[in-house]
Amino acid sequence: MAATTQERPMDLERPIKEIGTDLAARMPRPRLVSTARVEQRMTEMLMKDPALRAALFRFVDVRPACDTPADLIRHLHEFLEEAESKTAQRASTFTGRPLARRPIAAVAGAGVKRMAQQFIVGEDAKDALPEITKLWKHGVETTVDLLGEATVSETEADVYMRRCEETLRALAGAATKPGQVNLSVKVSALTPLLRPTAPERGIEGARPRLEHLLRVAKEVGAHLHVDMESFDTREAITELTLDLLSQPEFADGPSAGIVLQAYLVESPEHLDHLLDWAERTPRTHPFVIRLVKGAYWDHEVVQAAQNGWAPPVFTDRRECDRNFEQLTRRLIDATPTVRVAIASHNLRSISHAAAYADARGVGNADLEFQILRGLGDDTQAAIAATGRQVRAYCPVGDLVAGMAYLVRRLLENTANDSFLAAHASGTDTAELLEAP
Amino acid sequence: MNTFRNEPLLELRRSTVRNEALAALAALDAKLPLEVPMLIGEDVVQGQVFSSVDPSAPATVVANAHAATAAHVGDAITAAERGQKVWSQRPASERAAALSRAAGILRSRRYELAALAVREAGKPWAEADGDVAEAIDFLEYYAQGALALDGGRPLIQMPGERNAMRYVARGITGVIAPWNFPLAIAAGMVSAALATGNAVILKPAEQAPACAKAVVDALHAGGVPLEALSFLPGGDEPGKALVADPRIHTIVFTGSCAAGLNILQTANTFVPGQRHIKKVIAEMGGKNAIIVDSDADLDDVVPGLLKSAFAFAGQKCSAASRALIHKAVADELAERLAGAISTLRVGPAADFGTDVPPVIDIAAQQRIQGYVDSARPLAQGDTRDDGFYVAPTLFHGLPADHKVIQEEIFGPVLSLETVDNVEHACDLVDAGGFALTGGLFSRSPRTIEYVSDRTPVGNLYINREITGAMVGRQPFGGGRLSGTGPKAGGPDYLLQFVEARAVTENTVRHGLVV
Repeated sequence: MAATTQERPMDLERPIKEIGTDLAARMPRPRLVSTARVEQRMTEMLMKDPALRAALFRFVDVRPACDTPADLIRHLHEFLEEAESKTAQRASTFTGRPLARRPIAAVAGAGVKRMAQQFIVGEDAKDALPEITKLWKHGVETTVDLLGEATVSETEADVYMRRCEETLRALAGAATKPGQVNLSVKVSALTPLLRPTAPERGIEGARPRLEHLLRVAKEVGAHLHVDMESFDTREAITELTLDLLSQPEFADGPSAGIVLQAYLVESPEHLDHLLDWAERTPRTHPFVIRLVKGAYWDHEVVQAAQNGWAPPVFTDRRECDRNFEQLTRRLIDATPTVRVAIASHNLRSISHAAAYADARGVGNADLEFQILRGLGDDTQAAIAATGRQVRAYCPVGDLVAGMAYLVRRLLENTANDSFLAAHASGTDTAELLEAP
Repeated sequence: MNTFRNEPLLELRRSTVRNEALAALAALDAKLPLEVPMLIGEDVVQGQVFSSVDPSAPATVVANAHAATAAHVGDAITAAERGQKVWSQRPASERAAALSRAAGILRSRRYELAALAVREAGKPWAEADGDVAEAIDFLEYYAQGALALDGGRPLIQMPGERNAMRYVARGITGVIAPWNFPLAIAAGMVSAALATGNAVILKPAEQAPACAKAVVDALHAGGVPLEALSFLPGGDEPGKALVADPRIHTIVFTGSCAAGLNILQTANTFVPGQRHIKKVIAEMGGKNAIIVDSDADLDDVVPGLLKSAFAFAGQKCSAASRALIHKAVADELAERLAGAISTLRVGPAADFGTDVPPVIDIAAQQRIQGYVDSARPLAQGDTRDDGFYVAPTLFHGLPADHKVIQEEIFGPVLSLETVDNVEHACDLVDAGGFALTGGLFSRSPRTIEYVSDRTPVGNLYINREITGAMVGRQPFGGGRLSGTGPKAGGPDYLLQFVEARAVTENTVRHGLVV
């Protein structure tokens, strides 16, 4: 009887509010943090002015391709000109005097590199070590993600694999306790052969490299996490990962995991598939499933619209948030066969997972929270302060790769439905914690 | 009023959809070879048999077609003279409904027709499916367009005078279709003529008669009278006879530049008994270049170039054959492309893993191989010998007058040229004879504006591949030697198939305006 009561989400609302209010109280409002003032002002400005937002993102995007300051300034001016003409055409988007944009954009331009550095912990593993070990010392776990250009050749796939191996070894050399080394890998970087209509090609192409990395991870005692990407590659990534982890040589290591994207309409079926596999495949280290909302929403919606397909993602934010909570509960119910990572900056999603885990008696051994370094630092500190385990997702890479990452994150977090944006703009905590 | 939406593509990234496609292919294979007779008015006519084969497995005969002679052309035009009267007098709404019903029939045969294009034209699945979807699009788009055109255009009115302008069918239309879009282009050219009230005689490509017949069957079943649409498979003979006949009013052609120029010459030669000037609508290929500026995102450029140059083995009028690359990024891009080209899998069109299928026939294979062998490639993909395959080939830094740079190859060959800047690249494009499609990779709004202003091409694509024009979204067609200009799948195309008639009535009687 008790179990049935716990399964009714209604009964969670009270603990969710309590946990959420407590977390919120531990988070400083970004506007109060002096170092973040420029970013804060920029975020506010960008949210109000879509044309300026587009101009600045395009500027951030092109910055690494500009060789000289003159070239940089030329691009900046062109983007701003375009933004101004767009605003003139659509008076409804006009929220400020056009001329006021230039100094703001100039500040933003100068700050772009600094902002990228806020998200990225270093150019390579060696460069990133001081920052990562600092996080470790503060009790924050990490997972490292190697940013890079798209992989279009076998040579480039080899380069990425070697960077992954070097990173694993470098981190292992600096680790102070077992299980500390954690690397997230992208299958699309491990092969140039991913084809949406022929998943077997990508699987064959990436298999030897992912297999090698699993062996290295096992050797150095690291956790290897396979990231999920666009829907086109989902089948190949899932099947390759599960197939390799089914091999006897990996039954006793390394620790490994995959990602479940809650914005996918079919994600409940994906979870069926993952749980079914996990139950059939006993492993020394429980299979880790990282639950995320998903980072390719625009891409999926645009691609589907252009081809006349039903979008594979929820187009209603609340529906997506509800699905996130349903998947959260199913994952927590599946512990300890799987270990759960809740990767979200959404206070409601985090509080819901924590409340449900508490109700189920699931603790840090089976559940962790994940945040993006540079974006979720306050959230990370608040969660850690309540004694729950947190891991920071730490991108490593050069400026070129960093810009693409920065654009993606900025777009996400200045979108109208962004939780962080709502938080930054001072939305009431109770509202943020409402059931979706 | 206009409710046109592009036909959704098959979602081939889902295994269930792929399995259905493979089942359709197996069902088609069990029926091969197909029988493709001539359809002349109400008669099904036999003739000398010729075969279309599977370019991926040339021993497989896909269709046995019956070749039309000049005499058959004469018979078909005689039938079309009856058909022209009947069809042009049908209300535009009735004609549009027939086309729309034909679209529905193609829609109900999506998988089967894609399978047929896979087999007969060697189109990989995604391309074959796109061909079926585009055929449906053309039928629906022109049906709606003809309805809109039927209302005529408003004119200035004066007291005592009533002015009206209406559009009427030009007359019997000869359509000469290519093999590379064996469903879509045949359907587009035929349906534009039919929608506007013209009787049509279709001469399909010799290599893909069965695909074209599927379109004709759908139109007949949709309600186009048999004598308003005849079908004459065959080679040069029926094509030449069709163009030369004085009873033909309009000739619609898609194919090579040489053939197009011949058609123009013949059509413009007056034949005794002829009572009108023939109109030629021709789409004649290109030598398409993509400009890559120094601020381009090479992560996007590499897949964009590969898709533009090598998808369907480069056998699209719109395919890229030149890349004009800013010197600042030329070396890096060349190196990345050289690495990328070896990831392309050359194989049968029916294999979902295929990137580069065979070319259409042995003549094309030998002709393209001549270009491939004419210089030392920078990099080259694999090839195989169990079909009409040509290795995807990348050249770099050939002299400006080299034939690889100058001539249309229509195969999986891409040459890279280093340029000083975008102006230089535009000069090179401007020096060419063709002007069909072009591309630009740049993140500078001013550069995009500059190239848009300067380019002579009919279709310019920015920061994407330069193939895959969609009906109603990218009206397609070029200038210069690439064709006579009208944009297929665009709002102006149907105007080529009609004549305008202005009627002015004096409404003053006995000094009173009545």
